[in-house]
Amino acid sequence: MESAVEVQGLTKSFGATSALSGLDLVVPRGSTVGLIGPSGAGKTTAIRMIMSILFPDSGTLRVLGCPSAVAVKNRIGYLPEERGVYRKMRVNAFLSYIGRLKGAARADVEASAARLMTRLGLADALKAKCEDLSKGMLQRVQFVAAVINQPDLLILDEPLGGLDPVSVRILKEIIADEQRRGATIIFSTHVMAHAEELCQQIVMIHQGRKVLDELMAGLRRQYYLRSIHLEPLDPAADLTALQGIGGVQRVQLTTDGCDIRLVEGTDPATAIRAIAALIAPARIEVSRVRLEDVFIRLVAGESGTEQSQKALRTHLQGLAAEGATI
Amino acid sequence: MMRRIWMVAARDFRATIASKGFLLGLFVMPVLILIIIVAIPRIMNSRALQVRGDVAVIDPTGSVLPLLRTALAPTAIAARRLQAGRLAMPPMGPGALPQGFARPAGAASLPLLKILSLPPDTQASQEKPWLIQADARQQPSHLALIVIHPDSVVRGPVATSYGSYDLYVSKSLNEATESVIQDGVQQALIAARLKASGINQDALQSALHVAQPNAILVVASGQRSSNRVISRLLPFACGLLLFIGVITGAQILMTSTIEEKSSRVVEVLLAAVSPLELMWGKLIGQFGVGLVIVAMYIGLGVVGLAKFSLLRFIDPTLVVDLLAFYCITYLVFGALMLSIGAAANQVADAQSLMAPIIMLLVLPYVLTPFIGQAPNSPFSIAISFIPPVNTFGMLARLASSTPPPQWQVWLTLLAGLCAAAAAVWFAAKIFKIGLLMHGKPPNFATLIRWARMA
Repeated sequence: MESAVEVQGLTKSFGATSALSGLDLVVPRGSTVGLIGPSGAGKTTAIRMIMSILFPDSGTLRVLGCPSAVAVKNRIGYLPEERGVYRKMRVNAFLSYIGRLKGAARADVEASAARLMTRLGLADALKAKCEDLSKGMLQRVQFVAAVINQPDLLILDEPLGGLDPVSVRILKEIIADEQRRGATIIFSTHVMAHAEELCQQIVMIHQGRKVLDELMAGLRRQYYLRSIHLEPLDPAADLTALQGIGGVQRVQLTTDGCDIRLVEGTDPATAIRAIAALIAPARIEVSRVRLEDVFIRLVAGESGTEQSQKALRTHLQGLAAEGATI
Repeated sequence: MMRRIWMVAARDFRATIASKGFLLGLFVMPVLILIIIVAIPRIMNSRALQVRGDVAVIDPTGSVLPLLRTALAPTAIAARRLQAGRLAMPPMGPGALPQGFARPAGAASLPLLKILSLPPDTQASQEKPWLIQADARQQPSHLALIVIHPDSVVRGPVATSYGSYDLYVSKSLNEATESVIQDGVQQALIAARLKASGINQDALQSALHVAQPNAILVVASGQRSSNRVISRLLPFACGLLLFIGVITGAQILMTSTIEEKSSRVVEVLLAAVSPLELMWGKLIGQFGVGLVIVAMYIGLGVVGLAKFSLLRFIDPTLVVDLLAFYCITYLVFGALMLSIGAAANQVADAQSLMAPIIMLLVLPYVLTPFIGQAPNSPFSIAISFIPPVNTFGMLARLASSTPPPQWQVWLTLLAGLCAAAAAVWFAAKIFKIGLLMHGKPPNFATLIRWARMA
């Protein structure tokens, strides 16, 4: 598949701080790629370089077939993490200005603005001044500005942070519509559940380095089928006995039972039968591993201490909570 | 690319021109100038209370008193004031100033002085208490006591100079009326002395008066009228126009850039245009704003000069020169202010960076009257070639009564264009890096490091 974005060895430092080191990335056309990682991982820096807003210290990139995004800015929609509007401008004038800067005709821009604003429940706000809108409303206006020119490449940096559940649902629907239209989407977030839901490919960045670049399907195969959750019928059952079953790598006790980690290549169906034969289950199922768990495993390592994994998880959950309440 | 630059420029221009603050600033300054020129003297005149009171005179010569009565009559006082006004404002040709425009301050309230004659042998010490007595209406109308010296009209046989007079005043006498009395006594004494010497005063005054013509400036292309006052004022006026246009455009450019940066809208813009396109768009937009201001002041100036029939003293090519130098000066200072705006996080951060640039803008403007007076001095010539102050220097010289050679004008333009190119290059580097930089306020060392990095 032809690539919408190709990045090789992208490196950027700010003074002594390395923001990104040697990032390689290929985003196929028409795909939705989740760029995930905690705050400060280097996601926004990578996006700004893809957008030719920042310029790399070294490395090369191609965007929609061009060596720089400058030549194809009309074909890119971008919602930056740090939102901004001209506060004294009216919403329709702001959207028209941004749309026309991207080469769209005034009439098309106005029609798109009206349609999208209506869908987002903001039809009445079109003639209002930006300064009169709430933060959540402004965020939706800026999302409209990003998609108003029907871009071939849509880059969304933390698009769902701080929105109410209804707005999140509508925005997800619009993102899905853009996917169906054929747009390539790069979706940056530190709320991994959002990426899990929307993306076909996941790129994890940690401390300026790429730690994972996989298709979601591959991730599910690789991680989702390697963990089984068991709730025993008898709460007093000796769960340590499970460690003796062939293919079981580790048994971790939980409040309601245990999580059983399987050795790579073990058939989960065989393992479930063996477990059920040894301890009568009240409930037994293949665990749905979250991206957050994958990230923690990759960053803290399989051999990482429980404490370090817990600290990292708390950090990520704190960020996700911030993202949900901003 | 050009389309996007024009779109950014048009938005910036419209946003500034339509803002209440700008409109207020645009019209407040001319109104203030108008008030200073026309309204304030009228208001002051209208509010000045007419002074009425008595002036006692002891005249042992017997010849000064009648002349003093004439000299302190309201008509004589008014005539002296008019004469003083004419001396302050040399003749300007056929189109005289409108009535009332050049009227000296206070003309509306001439003092009404009653001259009381005291016996020639009266002792001044006896009459001094009179000055602190109020009249029957309890009003302080006893204003002054004048004691003419006996030798003030005719010198003594061995004396080389005339005697004078003593003046005792009450505390209710104001400074302006005291001057009127002193002028009156002086005029009366001179008239008495001339009469005593057998000299015809009218003939003497006529012989002493030489009418000043307007100089005709002769240049290779012909000749034109010149006027000393206009020649003195014009360099300063041109410098002021250049200063106002540039400082307004450049300052709005800086603050709007800081606002866009702090409101984070700049990243949205950079998603649609390149940093260079954004920079040029903003530069051009605020250039237009400055041009509106300059054009408005030129228009007001032309209307004012035409009203007073002074337009013929202005060389029309000066307007072209002014616009050319405005372009160059704006580019230099606008680009520098833009780079500060891109680097600073808030207006307070920009203050320390702005100070030396404002100094560079103010200094040549302050020097323009001096350059205009000595347009071909080594200092004036040197300053015409040193960017970024060269445009002010050359404009002041062009507006003076002795314009510089044309090759010097071209050299100034060339030096100015080089400075503008360097300033825009520097601004482009800072703009590229600074726009998305937040945190510690930058200093000049940081700016230079960014320029090297970009």
